[in-house]
Amino acid sequence: MRTNLYFRRVAVIGAGMTPFKRRYLETPQELAWEASKTALEEAGLELRDVDCVVIGSAPDAFDGIHMKGEYLSHGSGGVRKPVSRVYVGGATGVMTVISAWYHVASGLCRKVLAVAEEKMSPGRPHPQAVFRYIWDPITEKPLNPNLIWIFAMEMHRYMYVNKVSKEEIALVSVKNKRNALANPYAQLGAEITVEDVLKSEVLVWPVQLLDVSPVSDGAAAMVLVEGDVARRYTDTPVWVEGVGWTLDNTSWPNRELAYPRYLENAARMAYKMAGIERPQKEIDVVEPYDPFDYKELHHLEGLMLAKRGEAPSLLKEGFFDKDGEIPSSPSGGLLGVGNPIAAAGLMKTISIYWQLKGTGGRMQVKKPVHTGVAQAWGDLMQASTVVVMRN
Amino acid sequence: MTLHPLKEEELNSHYTVNYKPEAVYSYTAGQALSKFLLGLKDGKILGRKCPKCGRVYVPPRMYCEKCFVENVDYVEVANPYLDAFTVVYYDNEGRKLDKPVTLGLVRFEETVGGLLAYVEGEPRLGGRVEIVAYDIPLRVRVK
Repeated sequence: MRTNLYFRRVAVIGAGMTPFKRRYLETPQELAWEASKTALEEAGLELRDVDCVVIGSAPDAFDGIHMKGEYLSHGSGGVRKPVSRVYVGGATGVMTVISAWYHVASGLCRKVLAVAEEKMSPGRPHPQAVFRYIWDPITEKPLNPNLIWIFAMEMHRYMYVNKVSKEEIALVSVKNKRNALANPYAQLGAEITVEDVLKSEVLVWPVQLLDVSPVSDGAAAMVLVEGDVARRYTDTPVWVEGVGWTLDNTSWPNRELAYPRYLENAARMAYKMAGIERPQKEIDVVEPYDPFDYKELHHLEGLMLAKRGEAPSLLKEGFFDKDGEIPSSPSGGLLGVGNPIAAAGLMKTISIYWQLKGTGGRMQVKKPVHTGVAQAWGDLMQASTVVVMRN
Repeated sequence: MTLHPLKEEELNSHYTVNYKPEAVYSYTAGQALSKFLLGLKDGKILGRKCPKCGRVYVPPRMYCEKCFVENVDYVEVANPYLDAFTVVYYDNEGRKLDKPVTLGLVRFEETVGGLLAYVEGEPRLGGRVEIVAYDIPLRVRVK
């Protein structure tokens, strides 16, 4: 059953991105410009046609430029236009699309450029250090935690509650890195084995080197327009049919880590808007957020594409393979393509756009696809954003 | 246009600007957490109870996040157990530690929340622990 909301229909008519790489000479503005220009070219629009710009970027501290939204508006074509910046940590990339959606759906703007960029390489020696001030300053800060090790605890909890082995989780890394071989934008496409993952260096038990996505620089952009406009510019618009987002508690010890309840809420919101009642039957292709291999399984369950604890067995059966029932991360995901935080979430949405438009090239999944879902996740493990698209 | 990914050598051969921001913060612990810190000095772990739903928050919170009313009584909580743990091999700057450190999320029976702690002994998920140092960070030993 669809919601009773009234809004203008919104379509994607262009997208662009830079390849994701370890360290770019180009500045954040230059990377944003490259992606934006490509997206506008595909849409057939000039910058002067754009009514407003939405920018997505994670902590300023990654690029090392405070008030990065203002800085980035330059390369994103936002000069002397209404510009807004959204930021929900790792969930930002998909939130950028959601924000662009409501700019158009509300009737406020007709043509919106959505841009997400992140340079993870300037922070030396490692970008994890910028998370020093996200913790509770009294109870958590004295331990100097970093995000990887709270995710390690989440992974451990997921494995324990659902009786999942490291071998089963490693299959995600194997699948995504293999899918990335077909993606010209990918940083880490490779043919690896479960054994390679299990033999890779232990970073924070149970997280090993090949369980995590790399440090990357990159930008991505998308053009979202009102339905009437879309019909004028293309015969194959891809419609944004459902959006959902949720924040859980930043007091992360307050919840069970084995299941992302906040994601289920975000997915239910998006599915209701898109009229999806049986996600596993109605969704053809999915890009769940996979900065770690276990996260893809965790998120497939939160998206209700697998029952709790059942994602690993479905994965093993090939259900989520590129030629499976619901191909998952056909782009190669963050594990294969790279993880410039906000840009990675937008890359996931662009991948679904390509799949639905049929322009995925070697990434294109075998089965015909009609409904696709992209999802991102972040902040203190508690933000989730979901978008449903159809062709 | 061709984009240019940099190699490590290239980066080192360039002029770099080093800058260290001098931002120093004096955080306040707040109402509920101040009581909690005083409790630690007496060797007690305090939680705070919501008068409406009865949830006990550990560490104590000024308000119930579900009912959105002010929490009332401080109660001493007991029976700590290990909800999750991890073994850390690298520090935040990416340097390998001489000896890996075990860190855990310690929860208390019939409460909401938990505390981070250094863990001694052979850790087990769901297993009981005892508190060996009432400090921040807390230090626990596997029972």
